[in-house]
Amino acid sequence: MRRRDILGAFAAAGVLSGASPRRTLLQDCGCAPQIRTASDKPPGGAAFRDVGSKLRITNLQVFGVTLDERIAQADRPYVFVKVETNQGVVGWGEATLEGKASAAMACVMDLKDLIIGSDPMQVEHLWQLMYVGSFYRGGPVLGSAISGIDQALWDIRGKVMNLPVYELLGGPVDPRGIRGYYHASAWSLAEARELRDQTKAAGVTALKFQLPDLLEWVETGAKLTRAVKHMEMLREGLGPDLDFAVDFHARPSPTVAAIILREIEPLHLLFAEEICPPENVRAMARAVRYSATPIATGERLIAAYGCAELIDLGVIDILQPDIAHIGGVTALWKVSAAAEASGIRMAPHACEGPIGGIASLHVDAAGPNFLAQEICGFVDGGEKAKVWEDLMGFPAMRMVDGRYPLPTRPGLGIDISEVVLKRYPFQGTRPFPTVFHEDGSVASI
Amino acid sequence: MPTKKRTLRSLDLGVFFAPPLSASHPLAIAQFRAWRLKEPVSGRRYTVVKLQSQSGAAGYGEGGPATSAEIVEARAIVAGRRATETEFVRARLAALSAMEAAVSNAMLDLVSRSKQIPIYQYLGGPTRFKARLLAQLEGSDEASIAGPLERARRLGFQAFTMPALQRDGMIPLQEYVNRMRKQVDAIRAKGGADSEWVLDGAGLMTPGDAATVATALDRTHLMWFDEPTSVLTTDGLAKFGDESVMPIGFGRKITDIGTFQNMLRNGSVNVVRPSLGLNSLAKIKRIAAIAETHYVAVAPYHSGGPIGTLAGMHINAALPNSFIQEVPVPASDRDAAMRAELTSGNKEVAEKGFAALINRPGLGVDVNERALDAHSEERI
Repeated sequence: MRRRDILGAFAAAGVLSGASPRRTLLQDCGCAPQIRTASDKPPGGAAFRDVGSKLRITNLQVFGVTLDERIAQADRPYVFVKVETNQGVVGWGEATLEGKASAAMACVMDLKDLIIGSDPMQVEHLWQLMYVGSFYRGGPVLGSAISGIDQALWDIRGKVMNLPVYELLGGPVDPRGIRGYYHASAWSLAEARELRDQTKAAGVTALKFQLPDLLEWVETGAKLTRAVKHMEMLREGLGPDLDFAVDFHARPSPTVAAIILREIEPLHLLFAEEICPPENVRAMARAVRYSATPIATGERLIAAYGCAELIDLGVIDILQPDIAHIGGVTALWKVSAAAEASGIRMAPHACEGPIGGIASLHVDAAGPNFLAQEICGFVDGGEKAKVWEDLMGFPAMRMVDGRYPLPTRPGLGIDISEVVLKRYPFQGTRPFPTVFHEDGSVASI
Repeated sequence: MPTKKRTLRSLDLGVFFAPPLSASHPLAIAQFRAWRLKEPVSGRRYTVVKLQSQSGAAGYGEGGPATSAEIVEARAIVAGRRATETEFVRARLAALSAMEAAVSNAMLDLVSRSKQIPIYQYLGGPTRFKARLLAQLEGSDEASIAGPLERARRLGFQAFTMPALQRDGMIPLQEYVNRMRKQVDAIRAKGGADSEWVLDGAGLMTPGDAATVATALDRTHLMWFDEPTSVLTTDGLAKFGDESVMPIGFGRKITDIGTFQNMLRNGSVNVVRPSLGLNSLAKIKRIAAIAETHYVAVAPYHSGGPIGTLAGMHINAALPNSFIQEVPVPASDRDAAMRAELTSGNKEVAEKGFAALINRPGLGVDVNERALDAHSEERI
């Protein structure tokens, strides 16, 4: 039974009526009058009949997509969302949540009652309904579910208006495309030099690496030295004219991060990412003040609310929300707006599938404070790139001369082949890989 | 709290924008006209811009007063750009605030008309089905406000601005506070039991006097105390938060988004009031996004013309955290007649304090160019 049907049933039974003879003061929390007056106001409801569009959402589907472990990392079955309308326009979005695919898929369906029957053009109102109206605000599961639906709604908006989404957001700053970077690793000077040559030959201008070790909250001199030497080796091998970033992946404490940051400052990295766990902004600030290396974080944050403290305290230089978790196009755009006002650049995280990556490009394109777009891929796209091309009919999220080409078709500019989707049926959630320190204690990957 | 060595500041929007892609694109701006308008009695001034695209679609936008040179400069900058490129306009017309508002809003009107949707739909869809309105009344005291109040009530408004009594330096503070209370009570009584009020400080008080007034009126439940002072220093603003729970509105003269952000992060503002004459809808949407994370409402300030009012209703409809849209209600019949002519009939009306959203393309009204010509000081 849908929520509004339930409300209707309550009203018919007199449960919500303040005049009900059965009402007793001892059994009334005071919510009934507010709930009763809400019955005609959902998006697409009677109150909005004269101000909305004639479009209505008729169906919401969620697809879990598991690629072979040899093709893609097994911790992230993709979660794709499809929104259908009464006029045949459909929208696609991505709600992938690493290690929590089943939860994200269930949460998308939890939101179904709020969505079916609604006017998809009311994207902001629906976002508020899903976030504020869910009572329990935030969290990665809800954030990812909202993200998938929101992206699909923007896809529909763009298709209805016959414009790419970035045009609806203020137009592209640079129509030539979006600067991006791939992931990479090199464990010796020779490997780094070879990687440099491959990268340049592909026209790519930036890469991102990980630190060589897991790290504890105080570290041994040996590990600290290895971390610094590794970065120095990469700079030497890659040369001065290739940008690279290092992802600390929230492994160290602010104490350890500060030491490494100070020593790698002369390498002039593109940025240092997630230098410590994300929950405590003031703790992060302790590490940041010792380095001029641009500091980036944000992939685990939900909604613009989740980024406000980081922005307001001036701790970071670059924000990296993920469009599949932050709350879709709507939320990523808001974060970008707030960041811009504080001189913070945007380098959105994207370590899931191709729909989220492409949705992110649209927000990137319209952002004057955009820096670079991530995608979980390598200079050599490998088998995964072929799967994505199969799914979407073009080499999705592959750079050309260091840029992701801007979609030119309406909406997100993509089609998803459901025939191809069926080749990769959902095989259940796979947890994030777990890792441990030398003594068996839990480490952060 | 340690912060980075780099100070918080807005990005230098010397952002690289690529040249126009194709001047023959249907949405490329092909024609630009502007009217500098002045109302005959109040002297209220504003600028209306009309843009026409290659496809022939047209859009109108209003900004605050602008000089001929500013209009000509703006025209040169936007020639050939697509009407969707509001970010380009925000960056390149940042120093010409009134023109940024007029041009960007005209672009939104143009695109929305060409797509056959209301502007609020283009901006993200309606978050509400009606827009609460605030009548800005002319007058400086109980007597002079009576006529405008009566007119506004006839037009369906239920929320109004009232002028704050300004302090004569010779009057003891206690006496000043007493007179202020008396004036507030008297004006409220004239509005009737269902009226809501905003106290307009017009930016004329010292922070200290304004904080005293705010504290004295804490329990009167005015909606907010607007622009109590022009002193926007951190210490000056802190006085309000430290001494009063009266909501404070600020922003009518602010054009820099970062300034709003600073006030929000310092807790210095409870109602964000960007002026429609100095900030485009696209820019107000950005300001509102920042305010939202501070749980602060947006109520655009407006002291311009009716095309600006309509634009305000559209942004009000599209924002999740909008509260009310200000509407100047003229005291004079001649001013009122001019405003009505510009939009082919008076659209600045309310029903029980709210305006119904106009579900027609663009702004949703027919702009009367003959009236623009007739009432303009200059046409460019």
